[in-house]
Amino acid sequence: MRAVLTLLGPRWRAGRRGRSGPGARWRTLVFLVAGGAFWAGIFAVTFRVLTYFQSVEGLGDVLARKLLSMVLVTCLALLVFSAILTSLTKLYLSRDLFLVHSMPVDSGEVFASRWLESAFDSAWMVVIYLLPVFLSYGLIYRAQILFYLDIGLAIVPLCLLSAALSALAVMVLVFLLPANRIRSIFVFLGLAVLIILYVTFRLLRPERLVDPEAFNTVMIYLNAMQSPSNPWLPSTWVYDSLVAALSGRDGACLFNAGLCWSAAAFVFLLDLQVARWIYFPGFSKTQTTRSRLIRSRGSGWFGVLRFLPGPIRALVVKELTAFWRDETQWSQVFIILALIGIYLYNFSVLPLNKSPLPTVYLQNLLSFLNVALAGFVLTAVVGRFAFPSVSMEGDAFWIVRSAPVSINAFLWIKVAIYVLPLVVLSEVLIVASNLLLRVTPFMMALSSVTLFFLTPAVVALGVGLGAAYPDFSSENPAQSVTSMGGLIFMVASAALIGSVIVVEAGPVYSILLSEIHGRALTAVQWGWLIVSFTVAALLSVLGILLPIRLGRRRLEG
Amino acid sequence: MIELQGIHKRYGRYEAVRDLSLTVRRGELFGFIGPNGAGKTTTIRIISGLLAPTRGTVRIDGIDMAREPVRAKRRIGLIPDRPFLYEKLTGMEYMRFIADLYGVELGRTDGRAVELLEMFRLSDRVHELIESYSHGMKQRLVMASALLHAPAVVVVDEPMVGLDPEGIKMVRDLFRRLAGEGTTLFMSTHTLSLAEDVCDRIGIIHNGGLVATGGLEELRAAARVAGGGLESAFLALTREERSP
Repeated sequence: MRAVLTLLGPRWRAGRRGRSGPGARWRTLVFLVAGGAFWAGIFAVTFRVLTYFQSVEGLGDVLARKLLSMVLVTCLALLVFSAILTSLTKLYLSRDLFLVHSMPVDSGEVFASRWLESAFDSAWMVVIYLLPVFLSYGLIYRAQILFYLDIGLAIVPLCLLSAALSALAVMVLVFLLPANRIRSIFVFLGLAVLIILYVTFRLLRPERLVDPEAFNTVMIYLNAMQSPSNPWLPSTWVYDSLVAALSGRDGACLFNAGLCWSAAAFVFLLDLQVARWIYFPGFSKTQTTRSRLIRSRGSGWFGVLRFLPGPIRALVVKELTAFWRDETQWSQVFIILALIGIYLYNFSVLPLNKSPLPTVYLQNLLSFLNVALAGFVLTAVVGRFAFPSVSMEGDAFWIVRSAPVSINAFLWIKVAIYVLPLVVLSEVLIVASNLLLRVTPFMMALSSVTLFFLTPAVVALGVGLGAAYPDFSSENPAQSVTSMGGLIFMVASAALIGSVIVVEAGPVYSILLSEIHGRALTAVQWGWLIVSFTVAALLSVLGILLPIRLGRRRLEG
Repeated sequence: MIELQGIHKRYGRYEAVRDLSLTVRRGELFGFIGPNGAGKTTTIRIISGLLAPTRGTVRIDGIDMAREPVRAKRRIGLIPDRPFLYEKLTGMEYMRFIADLYGVELGRTDGRAVELLEMFRLSDRVHELIESYSHGMKQRLVMASALLHAPAVVVVDEPMVGLDPEGIKMVRDLFRRLAGEGTTLFMSTHTLSLAEDVCDRIGIIHNGGLVATGGLEELRAAARVAGGGLESAFLALTREERSP
C-alpha cells in the first residue's frame, strides 16, 4: 500500500504545483465559472423536466424513473468507454512507465497505483455532471438524507467497477495483442459502442416520454415505460438503490449499494491477481512490438501537390500524411460523420406542423438559428482538429522553429489546410438541413454565405489560440481543447458566432416579414441591411486576423 | 560566419547567458564546452533562431537573425541533442519534407538525399516509419537532413549521443571534411577528447559567461596549467570560476 501511495506522489505533487503556477488563480476561476454554468444548466433542465413529469397525473413517477434508468445506463457506457482508453494509456503507454517498472515494486502495486489514477481520470467529470441530476431528484421527491448519502455510496462503486472491468479487459487484450494496435482497435470499438448507444438512444426517441399521444393506447405506453432493466447491469443496482432511497426503503437501498461495492471489490481483487500474472509480460511485449493497422508504402502527396511552393508543400504533405497514418484521427472522423447524420436526422423529424407559429415563418426562423447551431458543431470539430494542430507538432516543433519559414507562414498554412474541408463540412450541414426545412431561397443563400465566411474565422481562431496556448509536451495533444486555451477558444468562437447572428438578426427579420406580407423593403431597411452585413463581414475578418497575430506573438515570444 | 555580440538571455530572474561575444570564422570547427547548466544549449538555440536573446545580436553569414530570420536560417543546419522527429513519416519522406522546407530543388533532392542516407547507413530503412527507428538511427537521420541543403553553418548539440563507435568515427571524419570544404561548424559537447581532437578552437562557457577561447595552448595558458590535455584546462578554468 505504501508503494502505491509513493507511486501516486508525483501525480499529486504535479497537480498541486499546476494549481499554484503563474496565472493559476485566473485559470481556476475561469474553469469554475464555465463549469459551474454548465452544472447549473444541467440542474435547471433536469429540475424543469422532473417538475413537468410531476404534473402528468398518474404517470409522473413512471416517467421520472424511466429517465433515471436511461441516465444511469448512459453513464455506465460513458464510464466504461472512458476507462478503457485511460487505463490503456496509464497502464501501457505513459512515458514514465519505464521509470516506474525499473523500480523495485511489485507488478500488482504498480497496477494498483495506475488503476487508481485511471479510475479517477475516467470518472470525475461524469460524476460531477451527474450530481445536478441527482440533486434535482432529491429536491423534487423531497428525499431523506439517506438518498444524498446513497449518491456517493452507489456512484463511487459504479465508477470503480467500470474502471476495474475495463482494466481487466485491457490487460487481457494487451497480453494477446500488441498495445499500439490495441489502442487503435479500442478507439474504433469504443466509438462504435458510443455511436450505437447514441443511435439507439435516438431511435428510442426519448421525446416520446413527454408525448403519450404518440402511442396507440395508454397501456402500450405504460408497458413501454415500465419495462424492467437488465438485473445483471451494475447501473440497474445503482438505479434500484437510488429509487429505494427515494421511497424510504432503507434496506433495499443499502442492499443494492452493497451489491455494487462487493462487485467492485471482487473485480478489483481479480484485477490485482491477473496483474501479477500478465501485466508486466504485456507491458514488456508492447515495448518490442510496433505495428499499425494500415501499412503504407509511401506518401503520394508530394507528387499530387507538386504545384505548391516548397515550404507550403512540405507542411501540407507532412500534415496530411501524419493525419492519414494516425488511426486515432480516423475514428474521430467517423464519429463526426455519425454526428452529422444524427444532426440531419433531427431536422427531418422536427414536428413543424404541430407548432402554433406559421410554418413558413418557423422554417425560416429555424434556418437562421441553424446557422448558430452549425457554427457550434463547427466549433467542436475545429476544437478537436485545428486547435490542437500546433500542439501536435510536439517535441518535433524545433524543426519548424529552426527552418527558414516564418511562424506567420506556418500558422497561415495550418489555417489553409483546415479551411477547405471544414468549409465543405459546414456547407453540407447548412444546405442539407435547409433542404430538409424547405426554407426560402433567400434564407438558403444567407445562411450558406454567412457560414462560408464564418468558417475561416472559426478555423483561424482555433489555430491562433492553439498557438497562443500550446502544449508541446502533452501525451495526448488532441485533448488540449479541454485546457484553458481550449476553453478560451470555445468561448471566443461562441461569442463570434453569436455576434454575427445578432448583427444579422434585425435585417433578416424585416426581410422575412416583407417576404411573408409581400411588401418591399424601405430605404432605411436597406441601409440597415448593408450596415449589418458589413459589420458581420468585419467581425469575420477580425476573427481571422487577430488570433493568428496573437498566436504568432506567443510562439515567437 | 557566426557572430555573437553582447548576448544576454534571462529566464525570469535567472541569467542563463550573460554578455557573450564570439566570432567563428568560415571553415572553422569551433568546440563549445562547459559544465551542466552553463548555458551551452541556450546559446545553441539562440544561434539557430529557436530562441530570441534578451539582448545582443546574432549574425549568420552577415545576416542579422532578428531582422531576417528566414534568410539566416536558410544558411544553418541544426543537429539538436535529442532527435525528435515526425514519427509518422518515413525516413525518405522526412528528407523530402526538409528539402521542400529549405527550398532545395525537387529534381536534385532524391539524389542528394539517397547519397546522405547511404553515408549515414540508413538506406535499407528509408521507407519505414521513423517511429520504428532506434535513437541512434533517428540521430543519424537528423544529421543527414541537416546537411541536405548544404548549409554554410552547421550547429551541433552533443553530436555523439546515441551513436555507435562506427557512427562516431564517421561523424568525426565528416565534420573535419566539411570544415575543410569551407563549412563552419559550431559544436557543443561534453566529450572533451572529441573537442580536443577535431576542433580548431574551443570556447569554455561557465555560469552563462565565456571564460576562455582558443586552441589547447591558449586554454592551458588561461587556466595556468603547464601540461595535460583539455580536461586539465577545463577543470581548472571551471573550478576557478566556482571558487574565486
